[in-house]
Amino acid sequence: MSATTEFFQELGARGHEPLLKKATGTIRFELTNGRRKARWLVKVKKGDVTVSHANVRADCVVRTDEGLFDQIVTGEVNAMAAALRGAIAVEGKPDLLVLFQRLFPGPPGSSRQS
Amino acid sequence: MNGELVQILDGNTFVVSDSRGDIEASLTDPTGLFSFDSRFLSTWILTVDGQRLNPLSVDDLQYFESRFFLVPGTGTVYVDAKLSVIRRRAVGDGFHEELTILNHDEKPVDLKVRIDAASDFADLFEVKDALEKKGRYYARVDKGRRLLLGYEREAFGRQTAISATAPAKLDKKGLTFAVHIEPHGSWTTDLDVVTAAGAGGTYVRPKYERGERRAQPNMERSLERWLKDAPRLESDSDPLKVTYRRSLVDLAALRFTPPVSGGHSLPAAGLPWFMTMFGRDSIFTSLQALPFTPELAATTLHALGDWQGSRIDDFRDEDPGRILHELRYGEMTAFEERPHSPYYGAADATPLYVVLLDEYERWTGDRRLVRELEREARAALAWIDDYADLMGNGYIWYQRRNEETGLENQCWKDSWDSISYRDGRIPGFPRATCELQGYAYDAKMRAARLARDIWKDPAFADEVERQAADLKRRFNRDFWVEDGEYFALALDTEGKQVDSLTSNNGHLLWSGIVDKAKAKKVAAHLMGPRLFSGWGVRTLAEGEGRYNPIGYHVGTVWPFDCSFIAWGLRRYGFKEEAAQIAAGILDAAEFFAGRLPEAFGGYERGVTKYPVQYPTACSPQAWSTGAPLLLLRTMLGLEPVGDHLIVDPELPPSIGLLALLDIPGRWGRVDAFARGSGALERLRSSQT
Repeated sequence: MSATTEFFQELGARGHEPLLKKATGTIRFELTNGRRKARWLVKVKKGDVTVSHANVRADCVVRTDEGLFDQIVTGEVNAMAAALRGAIAVEGKPDLLVLFQRLFPGPPGSSRQS
Repeated sequence: MNGELVQILDGNTFVVSDSRGDIEASLTDPTGLFSFDSRFLSTWILTVDGQRLNPLSVDDLQYFESRFFLVPGTGTVYVDAKLSVIRRRAVGDGFHEELTILNHDEKPVDLKVRIDAASDFADLFEVKDALEKKGRYYARVDKGRRLLLGYEREAFGRQTAISATAPAKLDKKGLTFAVHIEPHGSWTTDLDVVTAAGAGGTYVRPKYERGERRAQPNMERSLERWLKDAPRLESDSDPLKVTYRRSLVDLAALRFTPPVSGGHSLPAAGLPWFMTMFGRDSIFTSLQALPFTPELAATTLHALGDWQGSRIDDFRDEDPGRILHELRYGEMTAFEERPHSPYYGAADATPLYVVLLDEYERWTGDRRLVRELEREARAALAWIDDYADLMGNGYIWYQRRNEETGLENQCWKDSWDSISYRDGRIPGFPRATCELQGYAYDAKMRAARLARDIWKDPAFADEVERQAADLKRRFNRDFWVEDGEYFALALDTEGKQVDSLTSNNGHLLWSGIVDKAKAKKVAAHLMGPRLFSGWGVRTLAEGEGRYNPIGYHVGTVWPFDCSFIAWGLRRYGFKEEAAQIAAGILDAAEFFAGRLPEAFGGYERGVTKYPVQYPTACSPQAWSTGAPLLLLRTMLGLEPVGDHLIVDPELPPSIGLLALLDIPGRWGRVDAFARGSGALERLRSSQT
């Protein structure tokens, strides 16, 4: 199972994510892997999250390489920097992605000081 | 060469040119057309028959618009004054220029008019640091109609499209017009320069291609309403009226609409180089402007809340709950050569975020926002205890983890030598500066109110109140310099006091962390000869090892700093002292036509007679612009209590009458009036 699949499945299984309490809306992730395209639809309502593969209209559409997204969900690549350099295309409401990116981990090897 | 640079802007798009309207930039020269932290034009030179033009005058009455009146010829003798050239430029998504040439002669003329155009697509950081580009440039003429200048690095793309309404011959380096003008006739063309940022191949659609006949920047649309919505000021002091209006107009120019804010604006830090979101600057300015334009605070709270840190990231100095320091959009940020995506290296923005949330609700009664941001506020409070206490002794400490491009000093005095002992030595890291502890105290006390009244969590309220009381007790013991009777600037890693006397004492009054018994001594220092210059409070006291009246944070006077000190003095009942500081800063503003600089020299007022401006590239600066607003609040003694606004004025002798009408808040709109002792004296002298 890819890191991306694991990330979305875990998110769906949690069902609620306090970091997304401020968010309401739908984000579709379209992840390309060669000729294959994987779709993940995340529906958020004040922190309640459902994840599916439904192909419906979304408030925010995020398009990128599945390989790159694997690195994002493991913290190796920073999502906002990737968006700034065009490696991730964002359509619709960018505020949803700004809130959603809170779920991505920090880079492996960062210090722990808590 | 041509004297002063001319700046116009709209949000974070701005044009800096010489007084002819020309742009002739090198990598390190700061002229050009900039947008979202990239330069989109580095060359924009107008010639007529191969000759550069001479400026007669520049009209830059509006922020978004300027007009250049030019004549051909070089040097001081005008070779041909039979022609006038007018360039009227307005900034929007790029800029729009109307170029008009008037023929004053009785004979017709044929002219070759040329615009040379090019772009180096430098990142704002490169303009400061002069670095090499890693991508690929292109220039091409698109269907004979548009000149496209572009830069690509992987999927990162920036493009400038240039077009004209009059017939032109386009080449890769510019546009040429063959112009014929009849006697006493004129010729005109519109020039459009449109910027586009490519992300995955999608380009922003330019505003000027939506069929608007004339470029109309967002600012022009909203300035009038902005001024109308702000409270009206009446006073017998004309300079005060000038300063107030200047502050409102400048604050309008400083509004920045970040892409995630649903179209709402917050105060950016400064023009033009700091037109972006800064945690500290946006919060301080929102606090200063609360009685005037509370909507700025709401946007600041929303946007900073959205970007709140959520993970440990050493490169960005990010921690969960931490409020950002600075956000940038340029190439170096995109390719992680700089950490500003966003960068979190500020130790004060996080507690100040909670302070702003509470102060905002006290003015506006907007409980909904307080509920909406409950999680963010609690995460900010948790950051204070869980991540900022680097020494594990109950104080906020800072030390950057990004050793290469992070910030050493993460407090508002962020220059390298700002934190020093009396003898001039500089402490190691981490450092716990005093004002951070004051902000933490205030954040906890205010959070207690929010928890009790709005979040309905009395247990949490009790807990943070207990923590605040404990912090206050320890602080008054550990930071109090016994032999000087003031608070030390900081603690070092050995727990020793960094013992110089600084303006930070005023922020401590503002925060409320100062024991009542010590406040009198602190106020006496702030108003004493070592700190008070006659204009305002010096950042570092005269006589300290590193004191320098023109040192950035080691002796200059900062209007923003003074406005919070005045607020602090009021908090502890020192009304006259607060009025004295207000008078000094407002008197200084008169020397700058109402626009206070970021800082001015710490020279004694009696010696220089005028405030010596600290040289800085950025003006206006948001929190200097906000300073007169906060000083108006402190002079009028405005304080929201429940659903009412308390007015408890104390005016300096220089102001006789002061009225602020239609102050917005949870009470609707109310007026505040003040009469000073000066008014009576003036009345008497006019009667005799």
